Amino acid sequence: MIRILLLLLATISLQAQNYVGSNACKVCHADVWKNFYKNPHFKSIASGKEEARNTGCESCHGPGQAHAKAPSKSTIVAFSELKSKQVLDACLRCHNEALSRANIRRSSHTLNDVVCSNCHSIHKSPVPKFLLARNQTDLCYTCHQNVRSQFSMPFKHRVNEGFMTCTDCHNPHGSFAPTWRMASRPRMVDQALANEEPCLKCHSEKRGPFVFEHAPVRVDGCEGCHQPHGSMNSRLLRKPVVFTLCLECHNGAGNFGRQGVGVATQTPTHNMADPRYQNCTTCHVRVHGSNSDPFFFR
Amino acid sequence: MRYAIFLLSVTAMAQSEYNVVDSFETGYRFATVGGNRQQYRSEVNYGNGIRLLNSYFTMNSKDGHGKFFDEIVLTTQGLGNDPYESATLRIQKNRLYRYDMLWRENAYVNPGLTTGNAAGQHLLDTSYTLQDHDFILFPQSKLKFFLGYTHGAQNGAGISTVQLFDSRGDEFPLFANIKRSRNEYRVGNEFQLWGVRVNWMRGWEDFKEDTPFSSGVNPGNNPSDTTTLTSFQRSEPYHGTSPYWRVAIFADRKWISVNGRFTYTGGQRAFVLDETAIGTAARIGTLNRQVITTGNARRPVATGNATVSLFPASKLTIVNQTSVYNVRTEGNSAYLQFNNATQSSDLLYFQSLGIRTIANETDLNYQALPWLGVYTGYHYSNRRINSVEQFALPSNPPDVTPYQQTNQLHSGIAGFKLRPIKPLTLTFDAEVGRADRPFTPVAERNYHALGARLRYKWKTLQASAYTKANYNINSVSLSSFSSRARTYAADVSWSPMERLSFDAGYSKLHLYTEGGIDYFTNFNEVQGERSLYFSNIHSVNIGARIVATKRADVYVGYNRVQDTGDGRSNPLGAGIGSSLPAFQAAQTFPLSFQSPLARFSVKITEKVRWNAGYQYYGYKEQFYNRENYRANTGFTSLLWSF
Repeated sequence: MIRILLLLLATISLQAQNYVGSNACKVCHADVWKNFYKNPHFKSIASGKEEARNTGCESCHGPGQAHAKAPSKSTIVAFSELKSKQVLDACLRCHNEALSRANIRRSSHTLNDVVCSNCHSIHKSPVPKFLLARNQTDLCYTCHQNVRSQFSMPFKHRVNEGFMTCTDCHNPHGSFAPTWRMASRPRMVDQALANEEPCLKCHSEKRGPFVFEHAPVRVDGCEGCHQPHGSMNSRLLRKPVVFTLCLECHNGAGNFGRQGVGVATQTPTHNMADPRYQNCTTCHVRVHGSNSDPFFFR
Repeated sequence: MRYAIFLLSVTAMAQSEYNVVDSFETGYRFATVGGNRQQYRSEVNYGNGIRLLNSYFTMNSKDGHGKFFDEIVLTTQGLGNDPYESATLRIQKNRLYRYDMLWRENAYVNPGLTTGNAAGQHLLDTSYTLQDHDFILFPQSKLKFFLGYTHGAQNGAGISTVQLFDSRGDEFPLFANIKRSRNEYRVGNEFQLWGVRVNWMRGWEDFKEDTPFSSGVNPGNNPSDTTTLTSFQRSEPYHGTSPYWRVAIFADRKWISVNGRFTYTGGQRAFVLDETAIGTAARIGTLNRQVITTGNARRPVATGNATVSLFPASKLTIVNQTSVYNVRTEGNSAYLQFNNATQSSDLLYFQSLGIRTIANETDLNYQALPWLGVYTGYHYSNRRINSVEQFALPSNPPDVTPYQQTNQLHSGIAGFKLRPIKPLTLTFDAEVGRADRPFTPVAERNYHALGARLRYKWKTLQASAYTKANYNINSVSLSSFSSRARTYAADVSWSPMERLSFDAGYSKLHLYTEGGIDYFTNFNEVQGERSLYFSNIHSVNIGARIVATKRADVYVGYNRVQDTGDGRSNPLGAGIGSSLPAFQAAQTFPLSFQSPLARFSVKITEKVRWNAGYQYYGYKEQFYNRENYRANTGFTSLLWSF
C-alpha cells in the first residue's frame, strides 16, 4: 500500500514538474499571448489559484516542458492533430458543467464529427462572445448551405438581418428530446419555458393554454403548417394558399384526429367553387386556439 | 448622446488599467420602393433616416483583476429606427459575477395571406420588443446563483375579420389595437453534492393580451350578401401565468456520464370576451347581439429526461436517453349569447386534451479506424392522446365520450464518417421511421431520410456539398398523403490572398406533395381528388471582397431565390389533380426574389472610414403581379474607431 502511495506521489510530482507555466509559452507564441488577456481562458491565469494542469496554455495543451525543449507538434497536445473525440474530451474536461451541453455526446454534430474546434477558434476568434470562429450565422451556413437558402427567401425569420441568431431556436451542443411530434425528432432544437417549442419564446400569444386547442398544434407542433426558417409562401406557410393546407388534413379519411375517425370535413355550406370559402382564416380567425369558440370563429 | 457620454467617461476613467476598443458607424439610410409597398415592408422594410448603424465597445482588464469588472462588451445594430434594432451587453468580473443583456426591436409588418392572389384581410403593423437579462453570481465556482428576466411586447395596429351573424353570414373587417406583453422571471442555483452537480431553476411567466376589436358601418366583404354591420365592439382581456420548475443533475466519471432533467410548468389563463354586434342579417332582419364568454384554461406540463453516456473504450461511446412528457390541457368557458330582442341562450363548453409521450433512444458512436467512424441508433417513442370534447351548440349535442389513441414510432439511424485525407471529410447518414398511428394525415408515418455531406478544407479554401432526401408516405384507405423532398447544395469559399476572398453557394430544394381532399361545391360532396404541390427552388449566393487599394475595400454580392414551379405558364395548369380551378392554381407558385448588393469602404484617416452601400430587392410572382415590388436601398456612413 505504501509503495503504491509513494509511486502515486512520485508520478504526480513528476507530472507537476513537466508543467512550465504560460510565461514560458509566450516567448515563442507572442502573437497568441498578446491578446490572451481578452480570452475567457485567461481567467485561469488571473485566478492564480488553479493547479498547474488547469492554468493557462497547459490546461488545454498539456505539460509544456518537452515542447519547450523540442518545439514540435509531437511534443505538445496540438488540437489540429487530435481526433474529433479527443478534442471533445479535452474541452469537456472543464466545459461539461453546463445544462446546455448535457446532450453533446449524442448530438447530431458529434455523431458527424463536428466537435468544438470546428466552430470555436480559441486563439483567433473575431467575435466578442463564445470564441466563435466566425459570426454565428456565417459559421452555421458554412455547412448548412440549404438553410442559408431558406433564410434568403422572401418570407423568413430575420437571421440574415442580424435580428435573430440560430441559437435563438437551436442548441448546437445537442438538446433534450423534444416534447412535440414523436419525441425523437426534430433534433438540436432548444426548448422554451423548459419544455415547449422554441417558437413560443417570441410568439407567446400562440402558446395558450386555450379552452379549445387546435389539437395538431399541440401534438405535432407549429411546423405541421409552417416552415420555420423561411418560405416562398407568406406567413412561412408550407403551401401558397391556406385552403389546401387545411383540406389536406380535414378530409375525413383514415383514423386520424382527436376521435380517431378522420379529421372532420367541411360542412356542405362551404362551397369551394366560391372564392370566399377559399380563405379559411377569414372566418376561422383563431386557428391556433380559442377560448370562446370550438370552431375558432372568435 | 447618453450612450456616447457613457462611453467617453468610461474610456477616460479606465485607460490605465483596461484595454478599450471602441467604434461607431453612423450614417444615413435611404430606400425607394416601387410596386407593393406593404409587401416590401413585410419582407425588407428599410426606410429613410439617420442611424447608428453599428457600434462596438469593449473594455478588458489587462491583468484580470479589475476593481468592479474585468470585461465589458457592448454592441448595437440599427439604432435610430431601423426595422431590426438590437443591443447586447456583457459585464463580468472574474469569479464574482457575469451579466448578459440582449435587447431587440423589430418593426413587424405582415400583410397576411395576400400572395398567390389570396384575399388576405389580416394585417399586422406592429413593433415587437424583446429583452433578456441574465445574471450569474460566482460563475466559475461550484456554488452559482442565477437571476433572469425576459420581457416581450407587441404593440401596434392590426386588421382582422369576423363572420356575422350565422354560418351563412358575411365577413367584416375589424380594426385591432394590438397590445400583448410577456414577462418572465427566473431564479436558480447550482451546487455540488458528493460529486454530483445539481442545477435548479424556478421561473414565472406572465402573459397578458388586451387587444380590442372594433368596426363602424360596413357592408361586408361580399357585395351579393345582404348582411350588414352597423357597429361592432369586442374586448377580450386574456391574462395568465405559467410558473415552472426545472431541476437538472449531472455526474461525470472517466467511463460514465449521467444527467437528468425534470421540468414542471403549470400554465393557466383566465379570459373574458364581451362582444356587441349590431346590424342586419339575411333571413333574420335587424339584430342587436351580445356575446359574453368567461372562463379559464389550464395546461400543466411535466417532463423528465435521463441520459447515460458510457465510454467503455476510448473509441466507443454509447448514449441512452429516456424521456417522459405529460401534458393535460383542459378548461371551461361559460358562453352567453343574448339576442337583445329575444334574450335567449346560455351554453357551456368544455374540452380536454392530454398527451403522454415516452421515448427511449440509444446511440452508439464508434471510431473503427483513424479514418473511419460509424454510428447507429434506435429510437422508440410511444405517445398516448386522451381527448374529451364536450361543446353544446344549438346544432351539436354535447359529446362527452372520451377517446384514447396510441402511436408508436420505431426509427433507426445509421451513418459513417470517412476522412481519407486530412482536409477531406465525408459523412453519410440514413434514418428510417415507422409510426403506426400519426395524428394527422400529413404527419410522418412511413418515412426515410438519406443524406450525404462533403467538407474539404485546405488552407484558406473551404468547400462543402450536401444532399438530403426526405420521403414520407402515409397511405390510408380513402386518402393518401405523400411528401418527397430532395435537397442539393454546394458552397465554396476561398481567400487566395489577403486582399481577395470569394464565397459562392448554390442549392436546389425540390418538393412534391400529394394529399387526398374531400370538399363541397354547391352542396355536392367531391371525394377522391388530390391536392398537389410542386416546388423547385433554386438559390444562388455569390460574394467577393476585394481590397482594391491600401485604403479602399469593395464587397459585391448577389442573392437570388427562384421557384420555377412545375414549369407551367399559367396557374390553371394542365388539368392534373383536382378539377376545380382553385386547386389547380394552388399546385405551384413560381416567383423570384433577388438582391444584388455592393459596399465600399474607404479609409480616410487611421481612425475614420467612409462606408457606402447599395442593395436592390426585387420580388416578382410569375402568375400574379399585385404583390410585386422593387426597391433600391442604400446607406452612407462614417466609421470611427478608437
